[in-house]
Parts: sequence; C-alpha cells; structure tokens
Amino acid sequence: MADTTASAGAGSSGMRSGSKQSTNPADNYHLARRRTLQVVVSSLLTEAGFESAEKASVETLTEMLQSYISEIGRSAKSYCEHTARTQPTLSDIVVTLVEMGFNVDTLPAYAKRSQRMVITAPPVTNQPVTPKALTAGQNRPHPPHIPSHFPEFPDPHTYIKTPTYREPVSDYQVLREKAASQRRDVERALTRFMAKTGETQSLFKDDVSTFPLIAARPFTIPYLTALLPSELEMQQMEETDSSEQEEQTDTENLPLHISTDDSGAEKENTSVLQQNSLSGSRSGEESLIDNPYLRPVKKPKIRRKKSLS
Amino acid sequence: MPPTGLEPARMNRKKGDKGFESPRPYKLTHQVVCINNINFQRKSVVGFVELTIFPTVANLNRIKLNSKQCRIYRVRINDLEAAFIYNDPTLEVCHNESKQRNLNYFSNAYAAAVSAVDPDAGNGELCIKVPSELWKHVDELKVLKIHINFSLDQPKGGLHFVVPSVEGSMAERGAHVFSCGYQNSTRFWFPCVDSYSELCTWKLEFTVDAAMVAVSNGDLVETVYTHDMRKKTFHYMLTIPTSASNIALAIGPFEILVDPYMHEVTHFCLPQLLPLLKHTTSYLHEVFEFYEEILTCRYPYSCFKTVFIDEAYVEVAAYASMSIFSTNLLHSAMIIDETPLTRRCLAQSLAQQFFGCFISRMSWSDEWVLKGISGYIYGLWMKKTFGVNEYRHWIKEELDKIVAYELKTGGVLLHPIFGGGKEKDNPASHLYFSIKHPHTLSWEYYTMFQCKAHLVMRLIENRISMEFMLQVFNKLLSLASTASSQKFQSHMWSQMLVSTFGFLKSISNVSGKDIQPLIKQWVDQSGVVKFYGSFAFNRKRNVLELEIKQDYTSPGTQKYVGPLKVTVQELDGSFNHTLQIEENSLKHDIPCHSKSRRNKKKKIPLMNGEEVDMDLSAMDADSPLLWIRIDPDMSVLRKVGFEQADFMWQYQLRYERDVVAQQESILALEKFPTPASRLALTDILEQEQCFYRVRMSACFCLAKIANSMVSTWTGPPAMKSLFTRMFCCKTCPNIVKTNNFMSFQSYFLQKTMPVAMALLRDVHNLCPKEVLTFILDLIKYNDNRKNKFSDNYYRAEMIDALANSVTPAVSVNNEVRTLDNLNPDVRLILEEITRFLNMEKLLPSYRHTITVSCLRAIRVLQKNGHVPSDPTLFKSYAEYGHFVDIRIAALEAVVDYTKVDRSYEELQWLLNMIQNDPVPYVRHKILHMLTKNPPFTKNMESPLCNEALVDQLWKLMNSGTSHDWRLRCGAVDLYFTLFGLSRPSCLPLPELGLVLNLKEKKAVLNPTIIPEAITGNQETAINPSGHAQLVGFQNPFSSSQEEEEVDMDTVHDSQAFIFHHLNMLERPSTPGIHLGVFNLEGKEQSPLEMSMHPVATAPLSVFSKESTSSKHSDHHHHHHHEHKKKKKKHKHKHKHKHKHESKEKDKEPFTYSSPASGRSIRSPSLSD
Repeated sequence: MADTTASAGAGSSGMRSGSKQSTNPADNYHLARRRTLQVVVSSLLTEAGFESAEKASVETLTEMLQSYISEIGRSAKSYCEHTARTQPTLSDIVVTLVEMGFNVDTLPAYAKRSQRMVITAPPVTNQPVTPKALTAGQNRPHPPHIPSHFPEFPDPHTYIKTPTYREPVSDYQVLREKAASQRRDVERALTRFMAKTGETQSLFKDDVSTFPLIAARPFTIPYLTALLPSELEMQQMEETDSSEQEEQTDTENLPLHISTDDSGAEKENTSVLQQNSLSGSRSGEESLIDNPYLRPVKKPKIRRKKSLS
Repeated sequence: MPPTGLEPARMNRKKGDKGFESPRPYKLTHQVVCINNINFQRKSVVGFVELTIFPTVANLNRIKLNSKQCRIYRVRINDLEAAFIYNDPTLEVCHNESKQRNLNYFSNAYAAAVSAVDPDAGNGELCIKVPSELWKHVDELKVLKIHINFSLDQPKGGLHFVVPSVEGSMAERGAHVFSCGYQNSTRFWFPCVDSYSELCTWKLEFTVDAAMVAVSNGDLVETVYTHDMRKKTFHYMLTIPTSASNIALAIGPFEILVDPYMHEVTHFCLPQLLPLLKHTTSYLHEVFEFYEEILTCRYPYSCFKTVFIDEAYVEVAAYASMSIFSTNLLHSAMIIDETPLTRRCLAQSLAQQFFGCFISRMSWSDEWVLKGISGYIYGLWMKKTFGVNEYRHWIKEELDKIVAYELKTGGVLLHPIFGGGKEKDNPASHLYFSIKHPHTLSWEYYTMFQCKAHLVMRLIENRISMEFMLQVFNKLLSLASTASSQKFQSHMWSQMLVSTFGFLKSISNVSGKDIQPLIKQWVDQSGVVKFYGSFAFNRKRNVLELEIKQDYTSPGTQKYVGPLKVTVQELDGSFNHTLQIEENSLKHDIPCHSKSRRNKKKKIPLMNGEEVDMDLSAMDADSPLLWIRIDPDMSVLRKVGFEQADFMWQYQLRYERDVVAQQESILALEKFPTPASRLALTDILEQEQCFYRVRMSACFCLAKIANSMVSTWTGPPAMKSLFTRMFCCKTCPNIVKTNNFMSFQSYFLQKTMPVAMALLRDVHNLCPKEVLTFILDLIKYNDNRKNKFSDNYYRAEMIDALANSVTPAVSVNNEVRTLDNLNPDVRLILEEITRFLNMEKLLPSYRHTITVSCLRAIRVLQKNGHVPSDPTLFKSYAEYGHFVDIRIAALEAVVDYTKVDRSYEELQWLLNMIQNDPVPYVRHKILHMLTKNPPFTKNMESPLCNEALVDQLWKLMNSGTSHDWRLRCGAVDLYFTLFGLSRPSCLPLPELGLVLNLKEKKAVLNPTIIPEAITGNQETAINPSGHAQLVGFQNPFSSSQEEEEVDMDTVHDSQAFIFHHLNMLERPSTPGIHLGVFNLEGKEQSPLEMSMHPVATAPLSVFSKESTSSKHSDHHHHHHHEHKKKKKKHKHKHKHKHKHESKEKDKEPFTYSSPASGRSIRSPSLSD
C-alpha cells in the first residue's frame, strides 16, 4: 500500500505516463488519501492538546507524515527485494523502522495508549483499475517451467499474429515471367552500374552509353576464375542435390568423415587415410600409404654436401 | 665412323631383322641430369649432366650430342677437360646475304640443317673432342663419363616458365615451369642424345624451393633438404631404359593428390584446384584397368604421375611414367561438355605410355607404328566407354578428316623410305616441306599423320582380327619388358624399340596372314581412294548393276584394287556382297534376292536381325532395293560419292541402324529438299533411341532443307514445334522448362536445335522474326537454379544462335554505322550480348564459354555491317592475362578483321604477337588461324603483300623461330599460303647475275638465280656427309637477323669471347659450317656467377675486322693471348655461336686444340 502511494504520489509523472482516461480516478484517489492523512494529523494534534491549527501547518505536517510513511514503504520494499521476495513482511518493516532510528519497542505501547483517537476508516475508494485497452482472448497461463511469480504473459494480441495473404499468384506463366524479368532487371542494373563506375568499351564510336561493355581486364592468374565454379554455382549445387553429392563422394572415397579404423574395405580405407594425410588433419596415418610424395623430406646428410653445392 | 645421315632410315626395313643399328659410335647407358638451381625471377636454370657411354668403335675421338639454347660452360670426360664445338645450323637456316625468298629453297635448306644435327643420323649440335689422354682408354672400349655443366637463361623453347606477376613468393604466386616441345625437344633444356632410339637409364635430381615440388620421370627415391633448409632436392631414378626425348620435368607449388584407387599414381595441380583435380582424375583408374586388360600387360612403369599446368604447349604430352596436361582440362562435376573431352585426353596419354614412352621407335619412319597403336587402343577404349555409336562416329570423322586433308594437300605418307639422300627422291615432293624429319613437318600434317596411322591400324585389325592384333601388342610389350629388365645388357635394350619391319613381322608370326598388300597400299604409299558409285536395277534379270568408278589422277588419290564390300538392303533383307575392284572393271552385277513387292505385308529384316514395318509407298514399285551402301565398314581409306534416289536415302536414314549410314544419308538429303526429306529428318529428331549426334546433324540438315523449300514451307518454322514439345512447358509453350540436364542426349539436342533454327531464312533471306523472338525467349526464361549442372555451354550456344540469326545489314548509302540506324532486331541481340558479356565479368562461367561466344557474335555483327568494324575490343581481349580460350576467340576475330579490312597494322600486330607472346600455344594458334584464314593468298592482289612483309615472314621462319620446331613449321605454312612455293610475286625480279657483297668485298653469283647450282656443287664437291654447307655464304658479323632474334649482348659477347679466348679451328670435313669453338680452362667456378657478368662489347669491332681478314693465320696467336686473358675474362657470357666461313678448308689440316691440353691434335676420325 505504502509503495503504491509513494509512486503514485510522484504525481505529475504518473499523470504524464497515464492516459487521459485514467487521470480522474487516480486524482480522486490521491485526494481521498490526502484527506485521510489530514484527519490523522488533526486527530494527533488534538490528542497532543492543540485546539486549533493553521491550515498551512496542518498541510506541512501532513506532508511530513506522508513522506515518512512513503519512506517506510520504499525502504521496506527495498529490504524485501534484497532478500528476493516480492511482498514485504513484518520484519522488513521492523528493520526499516530501526534503520530510520525509530524505537520499535515503543510502538505497541503507543498503539495501545489510552487517549488515542480512533478515526473512521477512509471510505473505500475503488482501486483505479488500469483499463483494459484491448483484450483478445485469455492470457496464457505460465507453463510449468516458469515460476508463478514471474509476470504474466502479456495480452495475446501483442504477440499473436494473424497473417493475411493476398491471393497467391499461382499462374506458372506469370511466375516465370516475373522471375525472368526480375532477374534480367537486376542483372541489367548491376552491369550498368558496374559499367558506369568503371572503365568501359564501346562498339560504337559515337555512343558509349547505350551498350556499355565493362572493359576487359586481364587477370594475373586467369585459369582460376575460368575453372573454379563461382560461389553461386557451388551454393546451387549444394542446394540441388545434396543427396546425390553424398552418393558420389562416397564412391569416390573422398569424404573425410568415414571412419579410418574400419579395416574392412582396404581400398576405401587407405584412400581415406590418404585424404587425411593430404589435408594434414591426421598426420599419424600417413605411413599407411606409401607414396613417395607423402614421405617426409629428409635432413641433409654431410655426404651430400659436395654434390649439392 | 658414324654412318651418314640417311642410312639408318633406309635400312630399317631391309635389315631390320638384324636388330637395331645405332647411328652413333658409342652406346649411352646412363645419364644423370642434375639441375641445382632454378631461378623463377630470372627464368634461368643451372645444372649439369653426366652421360655414361661405351665406345663401340676403337678410334672414337669425337662425340656428338644434342643441345640447343644451353650455355655450356665446361665439358669433362672422365674428369679431363675436353674441347668442344657448338654448331647449330638450324638457328638460321638460310643466311642473310642470300636474297632467296622462295620456299623451295628454304625447305631444302631447312631439311639439310635439321639433318645436320639429327641424332638419328648420329649428328648433334655439340661436338666434343675426346682428350688425347683417353685415346688408349677408348681403344679398349672402356667407359667414358661425359660431364657437362650448362645453364639456360630465359629459354624460349623446351622449358616454359609461368610466373604470374602478383605479390608473394614464387610458390604463393603459383609460378611453375615445365618442359615442353614438339617431338624430340629435350635438347632445348639439357644436353643429351635427343633421339627416341637411344635408350638409357636415368638419375634425375632437381633442387627446388622448399615450397615447390619437382615432378619428373621414374621413381622419386628421396627428397632431401639442402643445408640451409630452404630448398629441397628431389632424387628420381628411372631404371627402365628411356630415351632422352621422353624425359620431362614440371616444377611448381603443386598440390598433391595420391590416386585413391592406385597409390602408385599421383596427380599434381596448381594451388586451389585440388577439388577439380579430385573430380577430374577420379576416372583414371578405369582407363588403367582397361588398357591393362586388353593388353594383358601391366602398366610398365612402377609409378605414374599426371601434372596439370598452365600455358600448356599441347593439351596432352606423354613422357615416360608421367604426363603433362593443360590445367584447362580440369573441371568440376557440374560441367558436362568438358568431361568426355578430358577423359579422352587422359586415355590418350595413357595409351602413349605403353606405345610411345615405354616402347619407343627405331627411327622417324617407324613413328606411324607407335602413333597407330596408341591411337588404335585409345579407339578401343572409346568404344568401350562411349559405345559403338560414338566409336563409329569418331572413325567416320577421322576418316573424313584424313580424306579431306589428303585430297587437299596431296597425301600423307606413313612410312617414308628415303633413298640416297637426294632431295629428288623425296617421296613427298607434292609438299612444301620435307617429311624426312619430324621437325620439318607442318603441324597439321603431323596430326593427320597420327589420324591416318590409327585408321590404318584399324584396317589391319579388320584384316587379322582384333584378337591377333592384341596378341601382337602383347608380344611387343613383353619383349620390351624383358629387355628393360636387363639392367646391364644395354645391347638388349633395342628390343624396346619398335620398327615397321619388326611390327609387320610379329603380325605375320602371330596371325600367319600376309598383310603386305595392305601395308603397301596405305603405309608405303600416300593418298586415299575416291569412289563414285551409281547403279541401275535390271528388272528382267533381277540384277543390280552397280558401277563403281575411281578417280586416281587428282592429287592425294591412289588407285584401289582389291575387295570392296557392298551392302544392299532389299525387301527380303540385307545382303553383303564383296566385289573385286580390278583394274578395268567398272560394272558389277549383283543378283537380287527378292522380287519386287512380292511380299508386301511382311516385316522387313534389317542387317542386325531386327524386323521392322516400313511404309513402302515411297519406293519404286519395280525395284526391291531399299538402299545400297558401299564399304559400310570403312575398311578402305576412301571418299565415296554414291548416287541413289532420295527415297532410298530417306529409308536409309530411318531404318539403317548404323550411325555412319545415318550420317551419310543426312548429308545426302541436303540435296533433296522435299517434304519427304523433311518428314524423315523430323522423325529422326524425335526418335529418342537415335544417336544424339545423328539427331544433332539432322537439325542442321533440316535447317538447310527448310531454307531451300522456303517458298513452299508450311507451318511454323522448322523444329520450333518440336523444340516446344520437347523442352517447353505444357501450359505455356513459349516458356522453356527450367533446366534439367540429367539426360545428356536431350541436353545436347536442346543446345543444338536453336543454333540450327537460327540458320533459317525467310523469302527475304532474313531470319524469321518468330525464330529470333523464340531464341530471345529461351534466353529470357532460362532458369538454371534447379539444375545439377552448369548451363554455361547452353547459354553460350544461345549466343551462337543469336549470332547465326544475323543477316547482312541493308546499307542504303554506305553510311557509317551508328546507333541511330541500328536495326531493331540487332538492337535486341546487342542488348543480350552486352548483358551476357558484362555478367561474365561479375560471374564468370566455366572456361569463359560465354565471353568466347559473345566475342564471336560481335565479330559477326561487325562483319555483317551492323556495328562498325573495329578490332580494338578484340585486341584488348587478346592480351596476355586473359583466359586462353578468350584470347584465341579474340585473335580469331582480329585475324578475320585483318583479312576483311586488309589492315596492315593488325597484321603487324599479329606478327608481333607470334614472335613475342609468352604463351607458345597462342603463338602457334595465331599462325594456324592466319594460315586457315589468310589475309591474302598467292594468286591474289593485295596491298598487304609487299616486300617488307616477305622479308619479315622470311626472317620469322629463317631465324625468328629457331627455338620451337612447331612454330617454325607454322611460319612455313603461312609463308606457303601467302606466297606459294616460288619467289613471291611482289618482289622485284632479280636483275643482276652478280651481286656485290660489300662486306665481304667479293662478288658472288646471285643466289636467287642459281641457288641449286651453288649448293649442289658444294654438296658434291666438299661435303660427302652432310648438308651443313648449305648454310654457307655468310659473314660472321653480318648476321644482323640473328642478332635481333637472339639476345644482342649474348651474341656480341660470345663472338668477342670466341675471338679473344678460344681456339679457332677448321675442320676439313665440314666446311662452311659455323663453328663456335670454345673451351674453358679447368678452373672451378660457380656457373651462376659466370652468367651474371655483363661483357663490354667494345673489342668486338676491332677483332671482327682482324678476324675477317686474317683469322686463319692468327688463331694460334690468339690462342696465346687467350691464355693470359682467360683467367680474367672467362666469366663472360659466351653464347656458343660463331659463324665462320672458310675457303681454304682443304688446305688447312684439321687442328683441334684445347687450352687444357695445350697442344693441337689431329683427329683421326676426321681425316679419313
């Protein structure tokens, strides 16, 4: 109760954040609370023997009381959260009071003092309900793995999607047409861009822009681009026939993942080993294949000196 | 005494049974090649060789070896310094003074020059004098070890360096070097006996950068680091006797792949290409298995290596236990078209491992046996791998090729026999080059020679059966392998050489059949047979009267006498008849089996036993003949022109099951543009069982027929509805299905059909709009996303189709072609080409097939006048650094431009490229393309044809191409095409009988007038043993030509060097020869150091003057000088070339002095 008061008492911020509809009930609530506090202050003053008080001083005292209670609430909440709880307990309040320099032991006696005035409970005002903006369906209960103290799921409408489609184009011809012209447009735009940003050649002396040809540029190692499939093609290949690929590589004994301990098929086995040794991943098995090019390079012998140098 | 040049070749046939007679007075048994430094930056090689030889005659005092380009520092025999002479007449064939420009003269001189250094005649460029201390040793026929230190600097042939100019170490840059060349070209990179018939064992050592691999012949024994650990040495041993010509080397930062099926097989490729290598070689083991099985013989070497390198000289080169391939043969699994081609290359190289590498040839005239056998077993592999149809199709193709070539040029002779060495006896006088040596042959002739060789082998097989044939091969192989295992009996090694005689003898031993007539007809004689056949059906006698005529008078033909098979398909079945073709009988009566139309309802049995229903309504009601075929098995090398009615060709196309017959009928149907032909072709196109190549050629035939029938053609353009039905979507017929090339047959058809369709023309001789739109749609809707294979070849063919659709522009007033007056159709085409060509820059296709097609298409547009004709674009694509296919396509366009626009500038540009391009293949190709598509020919007036061009080309073939036999022969081909055999007509006529040679201060007979007399006299008078004197008449210092082509400094240096420091001597037996004589004192020094010192050329003029005036008397004097100076100057570069003219050779005794020995000696072998 206290903390809600405190936060709500921040007043203007609450007003700002709240929507217009919620302003009035909240204001009412605040006014009611303020009035109750004034009554309390007044009765305490009466109890203390004052017969009258200036409005301003009552206001000041009310303010002080409110601040004090708010502080108790805030502090108690901090203690409770510090111990990983959400609801403050009595001990939290006690610790708070102790912390604030209040002698708790005097509290029961004070509460039971004879001359105390009992004031009527303030009229129960309706809790200002945050108006439900839009409820669509039921909030989902927590699944078992989420502790119940966790916040509830938001309203379903915030995460449930109801996709809407335009009537799909199912006409094959149109699709192909579209794909083709799309690709063509992209290609043309791309090549035009490349041509504009780089050197060009032209077939017509008088016009260099209608059919711009990207200038021929020699490569340092021309065979690489000519022979190696482009990344795009590689990607396509993987997409189109991963299954066939596997079959193929199986027969070629190329993949590295075949177990090398398998002594069953000799041929396969050794070839796999050889692959491994080539890629350098398992150098220990090199010796099984006897190919002179795989043998380690020897250290020079003294004897060799003459012939080599 | 070594026998003179031409004896061995002549004798092989006659006394071949007595075994091989070496032309050399010694036997080489072992050779060490050690290359201990390879510098990629400088493109230089330093090393030594050591030859172990056993003299076979007592008075051996000169040893001739082959060596070209190599700079030789030092020769020692058994550790004694030996004097040596270097003379290479092939460097400059005819000399400057000569104003000769006729090709006849050149060819004779060139053949003589090649003979003068031909190892098969016991000759060589390098002549080493055996030191006198060893004479006694030699007389006891004891072993000699010849140790030669040599280096190579920027070799222009023999070894090819590929050094990409990028950052990084040589290994990172992918720099590599490999040996290459045409026929026996090993002499270009180390001194050796460069003959296929001199076998020895080998030890090969190569020290290379630690990041590189050296691949060479034989077994890799070990790899050892050098002391600084920066380099390693590869030690190879080749224990199977092998000729130097089969030695190869490849060094580079190769990736190594051990064949997963055969661990003794190792594959090498350049960095980053390993995945392709894996795929490409994954098939090789099957080829191995096939050959080993049919030959019932294991692969002869203990290991096999394949190396894939860039800038290859030829696509496939086979050497002992290793093959060098072009890296462009590598491909991934996505590529369809390249796969069979590459496999063929692999199979070809492997066949040559058995015949060509392991079994070598005795002499050049036995080459056909090796090429024949390897080609033949390769054919068997083709049959097994690609099927009988493919095989027969290939045979037919090869047959057509050889027939066309022989008819064009006048014949290919497989086994030339040379008598007496006189040029008049030249068995190939119709040719403009000598066929006596492989190095004088036109490349085209050589390819046709190989083609004919394997076809003749097939003829022999037809005759003696394949079983016997394989037995013969097996016998040759087992003899050879027995001989090869005789490690210490080098005289046995000649069993590894095959000769024509030996081969024929084992055929007769194995089969017991006499194939002499066959050999006489096809091997000992050139020419093919030309048949013309026609027939008439005699209804009364029920006899087919067949008339077969022969043309044996035109060039390249010969008369055929013997059996000829004729197959007649009648209603009752197919019948074979063997006719005897005799001298005077033209007519042959063949009785028919069936009465016409007697059994109408019956199915008709075919040759293969199949029985089919035929619609017989088309045929002549009186005749039972469906079709007739002459020589259906292609058992004669012939061209057949046969006349039969169109319906017979149509029946033949539809029902004859032989693909060759189908092909023939398609060709014949072109002449019968009728609806019936159209129907027959369309049916074939649709028939899926039909061989895809037949269907492909049916496409083109259909296009031609449609064009001939254009006025009566009904319905949509030919093939359009067919294509739509086969490859387009059912619901929307204008859209092609997404690509799926799983069925290769339909893939090839799908590729070809649009190309053929684009050839269709309407009544205005334009490509119908409908067809163009159709092709553009194919391109537009092409979708390869779901395809397992690359569509690069398909797309390339679509561009070819676009190019085919282009027709000449209608030009109103010869206006300049601009964009404004561009035909709208052409605009669409150009749009596509632009996009394709630009996309290639971003997403290059395999082997840039699309760029290649685009370039061709642009040239077509230029030629047809739609786009201004301009070679600039092509020239930029032809530059070094583009992929070789692109370069060739671009160069082809430039060549074409040169012809059409008669551009002198472009011709010069091309000629410059021929001389300077880094890639030998490109140089060869330009020459070839210029020869095929010449800017002018000999009978044509052209502004391009002028004296300067003649001189330029003459220089090119005379001296500019001495580093590459094939290039020189290519230049000769071009010269012949442009100017013919005689003196080019654009040259001024020689007016003076005498020509003053100011430099020599003497007058000589104008050699352009009577060259024969001079050379002839010299030949008979002074030189009994060779032709070297043909290169006489030159002044040592006036050979400016030479100097331009060789490195300037080098020549000056060497000449200065020679005159300063070296002995000059005369040899009576070889007058007029250019003697480069030098020797180095036996002082130890690093060869590298030697080659790096530049030499001042200043003394040259002084000494040259002196030397021309008084060199003979002076040379002893020089000799003394030399001794003093040598110590300082012997580091000079010395190109061992020196020309030296001698007149008084008969007077001067032969002196052969060596500074090492310090005295002059008299050569006994030379004096007798």
